[in-house]
Amino acid sequence: MTIWSISIQNLRSKPFYTFLSVFSLALSIALLLGIQQVEASFKYQMENNLGDIDLVIGAKGSPLQLVLASVLHMDNPTGNIPYEDAKKVGKNPMIKSAVPISYGDNYKGYRIVGTTKGFAPLYNAALEEGRAVKKSMEVVLGHTVAKQLQLKIGDTFLSSHGLVDNDIDVHSEKLKVVGIYKPTQKIIDRLIITNLESIWDVHHTEGEHEHGDEQEGGSIEHSGNAYEGKEITSLLISFRNPSAFLTLPRKINEQTNMQAALPKYELDRLYEYMGVGVKTISCIAYIILVISCMTIFISLYKMVKEHAFDLALLRTYGASNVQLIRMVGYEGCIMGLLAFLLGILLSKTGLSLMFKMVETEYKQNMLHELPLMEFLQIGALVFIMILAAIVLAIHPIIKMNISTILSHEN
Amino acid sequence: MIKTKNITFKYKKNGNHRFTFPDITLKDEENLLILGKSGIGKTTLLHLLAGLLKPVSGTIAIGFVDIHSLSPSQLDTFRGQHIGLVFQKNHAIQSLNVTENLESRLFFSRKAIDHVMINDLLEQLDLSDFKKSKVNELSEGQLQRLGIALSVIHNPQVILADEPTSSLDDENCKMVMDLLINQAKQNHANLIVITHDHRIKPLFSKAITL
Repeated sequence: MTIWSISIQNLRSKPFYTFLSVFSLALSIALLLGIQQVEASFKYQMENNLGDIDLVIGAKGSPLQLVLASVLHMDNPTGNIPYEDAKKVGKNPMIKSAVPISYGDNYKGYRIVGTTKGFAPLYNAALEEGRAVKKSMEVVLGHTVAKQLQLKIGDTFLSSHGLVDNDIDVHSEKLKVVGIYKPTQKIIDRLIITNLESIWDVHHTEGEHEHGDEQEGGSIEHSGNAYEGKEITSLLISFRNPSAFLTLPRKINEQTNMQAALPKYELDRLYEYMGVGVKTISCIAYIILVISCMTIFISLYKMVKEHAFDLALLRTYGASNVQLIRMVGYEGCIMGLLAFLLGILLSKTGLSLMFKMVETEYKQNMLHELPLMEFLQIGALVFIMILAAIVLAIHPIIKMNISTILSHEN
Repeated sequence: MIKTKNITFKYKKNGNHRFTFPDITLKDEENLLILGKSGIGKTTLLHLLAGLLKPVSGTIAIGFVDIHSLSPSQLDTFRGQHIGLVFQKNHAIQSLNVTENLESRLFFSRKAIDHVMINDLLEQLDLSDFKKSKVNELSEGQLQRLGIALSVIHNPQVILADEPTSSLDDENCKMVMDLLINQAKQNHANLIVITHDHRIKPLFSKAITL
């Protein structure tokens, strides 16, 4: 027999009420954890996909679109830029590496990216098997692509024109798989990597007479008639020193007819747009949290009021005020702890179900663990609220007049 | 042993009405019946003796301890260890079963929890079949016997009973009083019963009327 066991018995003697209080608190905790985790996962996924890319240079247009297309491979590109011009920019001493990418084709919805040797290192991607691209029409597959499409080294396939899977606009040249990357959990897992020449070659032969179709399809124009006139979609740049952040983008935007976009800045803007929704849901979750802490308070207060005689009786047994306060406190703590555990369980199962659906849609596992700090923050918040509920609920114990309560037993 | 001297008491709310109580002197194992009409201050006297109320003047000694010279926490401990209280309609802790109630009684009076002793006592009070029963499953007579068990389990010096029989029929009244007197004797405790129930008067050699 301990004070703990009396607290537990008190809770067990009113199971329905206890369950309701715990469940409503758990629900709000689950909601808070869930929303934070979704946000954290989303940000992590985005930032993870940035790799080492500090700056993107592409055709003029929306900078967010440029970032979405060239870095996250989600949107259509803004257009093309001359390879020669891009090369000139890449020679700037503040730049550590400049990787050109060019695309316009897909295979079963996975984008084919023409690029150079510098692309894989941006994502720390290493080969799992096979070798790197050596000549035109060879490709290395991202891990997810190889797994989902069940392609092996030596397999060949025909790419479709544009960024959306289609059977009509198929190129006639076969691409050959020469390597597969290890999984990175980054965007490269979902890309098909080849060299720039492959893209140019495919579109060089067909470009002449299919030029009009490309325009209509709204896809990228990347045809060029002469080698000097070659075009790329964009240039991915990582800086050598941070001062480049201030000078280089402005220089490019002002002095060339290309545009420079900072992926981190653009994504922050994107979060801001999204933030309104996240804030609203968070707000609702906080309100539910306050309400459920109030139900915990009511539950404790009811216990103290309705069981005033029991508490007075315990005092005649020799219990001190402090022991009674501990009893109520433990009840609150048990409910809070149960709610917190149940909340974690609810948010975990809820999110994994949700992400299972998302995963199949976007072909990427987006669930990411909530940072410990945020987790602790929510934990601390709940703890403080419970503490407040307890402090308010024990008030009658401190003011209790045992004699009065005992003499009004009938 | 109990000795009170010149106790007076006044409720803060009730204006100027001051209770004065006759002095009580009880030797070891001596029992006392306190009779009186309602409102005369019987329960007040009992709560003063239990240390639940503080007298305006006068002293109350249990054993050799002047209980109102103790600090509040010392008084809590003293009450828990040396005093047993029986009420009219006995309330045990609702959320605990019969055995757990007795365990908690021992726990709060800082005594070792002895299940042999608990079972023995329940046997004596004919409650053996209700060890795991919730308090609200017991009949009135059973509840009153549990009340007696709770007042003696910790081997107190004094058992104070407040109208223990007034809601019981003659048969239960007799049984409860026999058990109370018997238990007080076994524990070498003083038994003080306050009541307006004249049925139990013959059971006491010493009685005062307020």
